[in-house]
Amino acid sequence: MGLLIGLVALALLFIILTCTLSPANSILTEQDQVGLLSFGSIAGVFSALAGIMLVTSEYRFGTIRPTFLFNPSRSRLFTSKIIAGAIAGLVFGVIGEGLSFAVGMLTLKVRHIPIALSGGNVTVILVGAIVGTALWGIIGVGLGAILPNQVGAVISLLAWGFVVENLVFGLLPSVGRFLPVHAQNAMMGFTTAHYLSGAAGTLVLIVWTVALAGIGTTLLKGRDVN
Amino acid sequence: MAHVIQSDSLTKRYGKVLAVDDLSFKIESGTITGFLGPNGAGKTTTLRMLLGLARPTSGHATIFDVPYEQLETPALRVGAVLEATDFHPGRTGRDHLRTLSRAAGLPDSRVDDVLALVELQSAARRRVKGYSLGMRQRLGLAAALLGNPDLLVLDEPANGLDPEGVRWLRDFLRDFASGGRTVLVSSHVLAEVAQTVDQVLIINHGRLVTESSLEDLTMRVGGSVRVRSPQLSQLADALKREGIESSLSNDRALLAHGTTSERVGDISFAAGLAIHELVSEGSSLEEVFLDLTSGDAS
Repeated sequence: MGLLIGLVALALLFIILTCTLSPANSILTEQDQVGLLSFGSIAGVFSALAGIMLVTSEYRFGTIRPTFLFNPSRSRLFTSKIIAGAIAGLVFGVIGEGLSFAVGMLTLKVRHIPIALSGGNVTVILVGAIVGTALWGIIGVGLGAILPNQVGAVISLLAWGFVVENLVFGLLPSVGRFLPVHAQNAMMGFTTAHYLSGAAGTLVLIVWTVALAGIGTTLLKGRDVN
Repeated sequence: MAHVIQSDSLTKRYGKVLAVDDLSFKIESGTITGFLGPNGAGKTTTLRMLLGLARPTSGHATIFDVPYEQLETPALRVGAVLEATDFHPGRTGRDHLRTLSRAAGLPDSRVDDVLALVELQSAARRRVKGYSLGMRQRLGLAAALLGNPDLLVLDEPANGLDPEGVRWLRDFLRDFASGGRTVLVSSHVLAEVAQTVDQVLIINHGRLVTESSLEDLTMRVGGSVRVRSPQLSQLADALKREGIESSLSNDRALLAHGTTSERVGDISFAAGLAIHELVSEGSSLEEVFLDLTSGDAS
């Protein structure tokens, strides 16, 4: 719940600031407007955090013991955590992207800035941001299973998303474009230099999701609970 | 069904440390078994392996003839409490139980049943973070009882309980087992469970030291006798001549081991020694426990 409020507040704050403070000529082109309207994909961070909490809070508070005692099939338990993470992510995605998209469109209209996007662009932004955010929920669950220490998992996620990826992409774009955040950007219709195509970006993000969830399941199944 | 719990050569190694070493035992239905040993003896590790939380390095364990993971709906067969702290602090006790009862496919009415059973109704709608340790122990027990199981596995349930709480727990366990159900309860203090259990499993350094009924263990104590006398050293000598070992207790009394008060009385009378107090010691069950577990097994 706290995460959701945080998401709404942050998304609203940023989108409103961007919309009102950006000079008109910086939000004219198609790519500028993709950037503006896909801002809600920041929900991915919150969705991944929610996914992490789904697993790590069980370890933090020890409820993992009764949880396993009541559900000894760890694969089944993890599957349900993944589904929960995806649903939470979907909700975050719809709310975050829905808000920022609505505010963004409204601003463009009010400020009489012509919309440079086609209907196709818009669909790609919305689907990319929302589906991507849902996938981040699953990635979060995987991360939590890999790193059951809550603080460790959260720090890893934030460091990865805000520092490591940008660093790698800046230095080695041919590698960086395969990393999940940049893959999602491609998925939402960014055509920045070195980016993957939309389809490839989607595929790469799905591969990341499946890989992290898979590694998480394997580790969780093999790990003793203290 | 022959045995409720069966452990076959259960072994757990953490790096170089052998936490549980080739541990085999069986527990029959309708018994209360005290699982005893000093801290670090491997009790909790053993319970974790029984309950599928930790994987044995070798050997295996079954509960109702199958590994715990293969029980159809484990909550309906086995209730277990390993830590008294396994709650989300922001949730109410009742919500904690509701979450688990849903997971076990039980109706919410069971939640109220078990809350009544552990006498926690009045605190049920308060957040767990405000609970005392005794209340947490009861909430943990309530969770274990949700599925009305035939077997209870409790790890150090008396930790942190006040004397009244310990007595409540004792009565509760007796009541639970009187219907033919089975209890495995671990403790590092024999006295805590001595009045509750039918039999004991004592382990030390991960190995089984003793598996016996409480009666046998008490028999093994023999009659240890406490005797006060103004002529303690002469009395000790007199006892020694009769082959009875004795030791000085810290309150200046003599403890004669493996004998009876009658025999100590007769010996001192024959030796013409005055006696100010002569008591059969019941509490030396604890000493047997200490004897059994203080020896370094390695």
